[in-house]
Amino acid sequence: MLFFQSLISGILIGGVYALAAMGMSLVFGVMNISNFAHGELMMLGMYMAYYLFTLLNIDPFLSLLIIMPLTFVFGYVIEKTMIDRVMDHPSENQILLTVGFGLIMSNSALLAFTSDPKILTTSYSSSSIALPGGISVSIPMLLSFLVTCILTAALYLFLAKSRTGMALRATSQNREAAQLMGINVSRMSAIAFGTGTLLAASAGAMIAQTYYIDPFAGHIFLLKSFTICVLGGLGSVIGAGIGGIIIGLAEAMSSAYLSSDWKDVLVFILFLAILLLRPQGLFGKKGEQ
Amino acid sequence: MKYMFFVITAAFMLLLALPVQGTGPVKIGFINSITGKEAQIGENLTNGAAMAVDDLKSKGIQIVMVQEDDGGDPKNALAAYEKLVTRDRVIGVVGPYTSASANVVASRADQYQVPLLVPAAAKEEITMKGYKNVFRLNAPADVYSKVLLNTIAPYRPKTIAYVYAATDFGVSTVKTAQLNAAAMGLKEVASEKYQQGQPDYRATLAKIKAIQPDLVFLVSYDADAILLMRQAKEIGLTPNAFLGAGAGYTTAQFASQQDISSLVISATQWTDDVNWPGAADFAVRYKARFGKQPTYHAACTYEAVRIMALSALNSKSPQALCATLKAGSWNGIMGPVRFINYSGYTNQNNHPMLVQQLQSGKYETVYPSQFSRKKLVYPYNR
Amino acid sequence: MKQSVVVIALFAAVMAALPGFLGDNPYIADILITILMMASLASAWNIVGGYAGQFSFGHAAYFGAGAYTTSILLTTLNPGIPVSIAAGVLVSCVIALLTGTIVFRLRGHYFALASIAVAEIVRLTVLNLDITGGAQGILVTKVSFGSLDLNSKVPFYYAMLFLLLVTLGISALIYRSRTGYYLLAIREDQDAAASLGINLYLFKNIALVISAAIASVAGSIYAVYISFIDTSTVLPLRLSIEIILTTIIGGIGTLWGPVLGAVLLVSLAEALRSNMIGEYLVNTGMVSEGSATGAFLKSNLAHAHVLVYGIITVLCILGLPKGILGFFRRKGEA
Repeated sequence: MLFFQSLISGILIGGVYALAAMGMSLVFGVMNISNFAHGELMMLGMYMAYYLFTLLNIDPFLSLLIIMPLTFVFGYVIEKTMIDRVMDHPSENQILLTVGFGLIMSNSALLAFTSDPKILTTSYSSSSIALPGGISVSIPMLLSFLVTCILTAALYLFLAKSRTGMALRATSQNREAAQLMGINVSRMSAIAFGTGTLLAASAGAMIAQTYYIDPFAGHIFLLKSFTICVLGGLGSVIGAGIGGIIIGLAEAMSSAYLSSDWKDVLVFILFLAILLLRPQGLFGKKGEQ
Repeated sequence: MKYMFFVITAAFMLLLALPVQGTGPVKIGFINSITGKEAQIGENLTNGAAMAVDDLKSKGIQIVMVQEDDGGDPKNALAAYEKLVTRDRVIGVVGPYTSASANVVASRADQYQVPLLVPAAAKEEITMKGYKNVFRLNAPADVYSKVLLNTIAPYRPKTIAYVYAATDFGVSTVKTAQLNAAAMGLKEVASEKYQQGQPDYRATLAKIKAIQPDLVFLVSYDADAILLMRQAKEIGLTPNAFLGAGAGYTTAQFASQQDISSLVISATQWTDDVNWPGAADFAVRYKARFGKQPTYHAACTYEAVRIMALSALNSKSPQALCATLKAGSWNGIMGPVRFINYSGYTNQNNHPMLVQQLQSGKYETVYPSQFSRKKLVYPYNR
Repeated sequence: MKQSVVVIALFAAVMAALPGFLGDNPYIADILITILMMASLASAWNIVGGYAGQFSFGHAAYFGAGAYTTSILLTTLNPGIPVSIAAGVLVSCVIALLTGTIVFRLRGHYFALASIAVAEIVRLTVLNLDITGGAQGILVTKVSFGSLDLNSKVPFYYAMLFLLLVTLGISALIYRSRTGYYLLAIREDQDAAASLGINLYLFKNIALVISAAIASVAGSIYAVYISFIDTSTVLPLRLSIEIILTTIIGGIGTLWGPVLGAVLLVSLAEALRSNMIGEYLVNTGMVSEGSATGAFLKSNLAHAHVLVYGIITVLCILGLPKGILGFFRRKGEA
């Protein structure tokens, strides 16, 4: 019973991790930038979902339809005005820029919304489906998981079939060659960052229903997303999806059978092991660098 | 251009070095966590202190309170204390909020001989080192578990499981709880420490559900309390009682989540339904001004700032202020306050902690009996 | 080389004489000690990050290892401060070598992420063990060292100054030595360096071990100075990032850049934290205290100081990508 309970909650929470990590992986693949403001982008999605629900009474899952286009534009603009300027700079400068941007976002949120945690309570927030054997499945988590699957499928189709998607993949594989082939790589970067922001904010909006919302609520997901990206292969979107579920499962199983305080150590050791044994990740194609 | 940077740097340094001019009304300092990871609770302290200053002003008592942010970092807290003492020349300091910061600043208070009044930090050590200039208003960490277990003792529970945040407060509280529980003959069946901020505790809670303990003792001081209780309900964890220590279980927000928080028993430093002078009125005015219920941190800080200001007014020097605090007694929204030495503590207010239970969405005091109006509901049954 | 020696000596003389001019001002002394500490840490990071081009995002681990080893020894066996500091260096070097053998096989982003992972493993392990005090941290009191008054700031000022001078000396030596040329070659092109017969692992590890040893001593002095440590103060990712930020804003790969970065960032952070700018405007009468602006400066700016810090970070990275020293150097050459 404990095993199945942990299995189910591990997979469901892994879905949320996966969505957040896919955004990061896409940005990494196309732009070759580690985005340290990713947690803050999730936080943005959390607050949007919260205010759309409390002020306009829009269900958090429906509000995704509003959040996604808005955050895409936000990410696009941020890339054009800020990150585009450091594309040719050393990677530590790019990282510090995103760190600074994250500080600006979280502390603006602190001024605007105060540090009081917000709780998004819908009519089904703590409801669950009881399965035989005393196993329960959280309804909001199950719905999030389904939405994550739909978004993943949509992203996969977009990358595989659409012209822009193919251009994105080409940029991700070889930036110079893509440019020579007439692809506007600067625009691809902005689209990638916009899409990454959209995915992070969607993950935030969905976790908001079972989590709490404060200006620093996204932090915990930053290192998790990095771990998942490396596990799946930096730049591999599908890898990030599967990596998310693996990390969710690893966390749930180690909490259930080891102890909850060592589970993060375990995740990081797993992370290092993957880096050493298979640096391209489980599904990555690129080698080192 | 090169020189401009040096000029700017020099200007900064000069700005930091200049002492503040002028002798106005009595000055006290207030160190708090306004930013950083403790900012959530820090805000309640800020509000409580602001109300105390305004209340004094409306009574014609003029004091200046210099507010400093430590961001939850003991190093900043120490810098803030040294700035307050040497640059702003305050004669007394209220704060810091966190145990770590308070611990560090307390260890220097005797060196500068400027009294420190700790409003809400729980670590026992702070007032156990015999510092002459350190005073504490709130009850230390060991009292949380003591009152909670005393409340439940008459019902003779047999087993207890701990789920607590991996923080200083969480670890200290559970350590004393384990001693108290062992003395009561309670059997410990699980002890799970968790990292704050994680989104999913279901596997841990499912593990505890499988053991079926009589009592689940939780320590959390942020919104993770709501998260834990939500997931506990989802998993179907139903012990005879949930015992909550830490601010997370005493907020209005927690109370408003009735379907998950109902009948949870929690320990607190303060409630508005106790017959301490001005407590009920304070709650009403606080709610009108800040749009939410005051937490015990707000009440503790309000009273600490009031005591510090009133004592400072009659003292004029840090040494005299120290003597005033040591000799004085007060009776305000925190009940009778006196800084005394007892069982290893120095200048510690022997504050009676209260135990409350959420009954139909409202915190009802159930312990100690002289303050309680309602009876404890046990076992827990929703 | 000679020029560096002269400048370092001059700097040493000025800094050594400084406390005499400031008199008994513990607050300023504290800020100066913090500046010296950040300068040492940033200079140490500069050896591995600036010279060898290996961007370790986990330097807090070495700072914390020094702080923890020293504190644990002082509160248990108490073998004296020098032995405790040396033990810290030993532990840090072991961690550095272990880290080096694992993560130096990786490059670029992978290296940066792996160094974060190692630092997080160290932090979480310290948090979960009993000997380290876990989440409760360690209070280091009743420590003595000869006849020195450890309640005073003076010994810590000179200890940090000494550490910084040693670090600058080592940096200058390395920069002009064969090892330094190898490190620069590794930074510019690892594969080319390897094909020239430079042992990549060996020299990267040498740089990391030296850097870790210095960070560890800084951590040890910090622990005795503040007398309390826990994982959130000596082992956070935030500290690692601050060290890199200090180096980059000052000027990466230069001798004095990290020092300049520390002077600017530490004073800026403190001026913002204590709301000195708002207070100054009010006190000088430029803004009246009762006015809306005055009230904003007094209350809201207290919440906003990290925001201002973030904005300045972003502006610096965008405007001065090579740091302040790099900016002047380029101007000078043109």
